[in-house]
Amino acid sequence: MNRWFWRAAITAVLVAMAVWFYTVFFPSPERAIRARLTQLAKSASFGGKESPVAAMANAQRAAGFFMEDVQIRVELPGRIAATVSGRDDVREKTMALRSFGGGLQVEFLDINVTVAPDKNSAEANLTLKGRIAGEKDLIVQELKMLLNKIEGDWKIKRVETVKTLSFSTPPAAILANYD
Amino acid sequence: MATTAETERPHWVRTVLIGRRPKRTAARIVVLVVVCFVWFRFVLLPIRVQGMSMMPAYTENRVNFVNRVAYLFHEPRRGDVVAIRTSGISIMYMKRIIGLPGETVGFHAGQAVINGKILDEPYLKYNCDWELPPKLLGPDEYYFVGDNRSMPEGDHEKGVATRWRIVGKVLL
Repeated sequence: MNRWFWRAAITAVLVAMAVWFYTVFFPSPERAIRARLTQLAKSASFGGKESPVAAMANAQRAAGFFMEDVQIRVELPGRIAATVSGRDDVREKTMALRSFGGGLQVEFLDINVTVAPDKNSAEANLTLKGRIAGEKDLIVQELKMLLNKIEGDWKIKRVETVKTLSFSTPPAAILANYD
Repeated sequence: MATTAETERPHWVRTVLIGRRPKRTAARIVVLVVVCFVWFRFVLLPIRVQGMSMMPAYTENRVNFVNRVAYLFHEPRRGDVVAIRTSGISIMYMKRIIGLPGETVGFHAGQAVINGKILDEPYLKYNCDWELPPKLLGPDEYYFVGDNRSMPEGDHEKGVATRWRIVGKVLL
């Protein structure tokens, strides 16, 4: 009895580890997109003491998450309404933001992903949480991102603001992961 | 000749920490963890208030709870303070319902106007001068606004959302 118990326990642990390894090395598109967006949030964050060389390298890295012809239209009530067209524009705006100083911490929360049947495009709905160094108020904004799979990497094609309090039809990505 | 069966009693520290019957203690802990998880995830969701849009009733950094089962047997009512989901429930808006489905909602001289009549809002402490044209709410739409209307109209998050966005009623 005891021997069988231990055999079953060891088998269960081995199966769990195999499943875990499989998901790490062969992630589902949803998991890959979530990981990619989390990396983007880290790249977009910066501290106050960043050297110009590091700022340029990090801006370059952040721009690498977007497609060449990316369109970003973001409106943060009481703060900014910005339109960015193309990856070069993303790089320049990111550099400008970083040279502004201070510091910015970005997080993407509650990332809901819906992958198209062709598995080459996807929609992500998420909540941006930003904190500017020295400011008390958080930046909170729901966003919708469209992504395309290019040479094995998920790149962002479009970013739009979702107005939580004036949006009648729930985004498909949220409803698919509604809890 | 009488014999006595002397059982060795566990050390009092062990008794305090894991009880006299460790298996039962473990079972109790498992049940407690499961009950707490279900309770604080699906019934009373703990939240921390951030921002000033619901001042003075709800001040910053105050801990509160969202009652997720409040609307199981009736629909949200005017005056209820509710939590509104974004893309999930990690960050939610906390607002007061002032407009119900099918009503027209607007602002005139800083006062909320529902179906052409000024809404009595005794919970308001700060005056404003907002002017917003009436908007007709759809059959499943509610109008949400914060209590702190001292800020400019454009800076205050408010507006319409459908019923599915409402996570629950703020408890305290």
